[in-house]
Amino acid sequence: MTSGTESSSSPSPKGRIFSLIARCVLGGVFVYMGIHKVLHPVEFLKLVRQYEVFSHAGFLNWVAATLPWFEIFCGLLLLLGIAIRGTALLMVTMLVPFTVLIFLRALAMHQTGGMPFCAIKFDCGCGAGEVLICRKLAENVALLVISTTLIFQTKHRWALRPNLLQQAIN
Amino acid sequence: MRNARAIPFEAALLGLAGFIFAMLANGVSPRGLSLTRDYFPAPKAAPSAVASPGNSTNAAAPGPIASGVPGAANAIQRLQQRGLQSISSNDVTTLFQDPRFQQGLIVFLDARDESHYQAGHIPGAWQFDHYRADAFLPTVLPLCMTAQQVVIYCTGGSCEDSEYAAVTLRDAGVPPSLLFVYIGGITEWKLQGHPIETGARRNGQLLPSKP
Repeated sequence: MTSGTESSSSPSPKGRIFSLIARCVLGGVFVYMGIHKVLHPVEFLKLVRQYEVFSHAGFLNWVAATLPWFEIFCGLLLLLGIAIRGTALLMVTMLVPFTVLIFLRALAMHQTGGMPFCAIKFDCGCGAGEVLICRKLAENVALLVISTTLIFQTKHRWALRPNLLQQAIN
Repeated sequence: MRNARAIPFEAALLGLAGFIFAMLANGVSPRGLSLTRDYFPAPKAAPSAVASPGNSTNAAAPGPIASGVPGAANAIQRLQQRGLQSISSNDVTTLFQDPRFQQGLIVFLDARDESHYQAGHIPGAWQFDHYRADAFLPTVLPLCMTAQQVVIYCTGGSCEDSEYAAVTLRDAGVPPSLLFVYIGGITEWKLQGHPIETGARRNGQLLPSKP
């Protein structure tokens, strides 16, 4: 286990605790959501299709087949404390388009159905079933903030290998 | 600073490793999806083919098909575009009570997944989850090929699984004139108070519907 690798910007012990909690929350959420999708791949496939982003069947299958496992992969890396900052960056690059797509779909439902935006409830394919859209967006923003913060976190507690490429770069 | 520059490289490396992991895991998983199959074949322009099960050659206007079922009109249109037929709830009831159903000449297929099928299906219906067609076709296809009429249903309403199941069977060689999609599905069946069978097919566990 590594307790920290950089001394130039050594945060307080609170920073390390934050990092640990952030990794557990973010990694736990990704693993949980990923497992749910892996157990119900057809349901996830149908939900991804509803976004009408992929017109080609091959792309749709590829996304629905690999995304859940990719989420589990990233979640496990964070929980184990491997390549934390790179994994956090990957999560940001996933969370941003997810959040935008969910928002756009909810906006379309709001415009066509005339329901109050925050009263819109649907299964966004996130792995938690039907959710109120505003709550889901708030969750995603929170996850984005946590993962962005982790990118800039240099000290970590209980991490196997926080910087995977450190030796190669040095 | 060096480490900051390394982060994108690290992320790219992880992305590649994660992709390989995901592809392998999907390939190994018994629930894995096919990467090449078109699970949702688009409707192709085809002649209108709405028929009554009593007279499958008569392409007349549809009867009271799934009245009150949300999305029924769209479903009928899609079926017509696919060259498939819908069937009304009254005709489904008639076929269910027809002696040919017990003889295997009328086949009911439930196009939902295992958990939904086990929770309750039309008594005597076979499961045909078209997303796992390879697992079900060996059983279902011979039944359909010898049947006079095949009724396919799913949840009903916006559920399209029965349509895709019918397309899969048609592509496997079942004449389209035999295939009838029950748009109202199990939801309408229950609403009309018909019994449902839980668990495996023909296990005797019949329950009254609770709409």
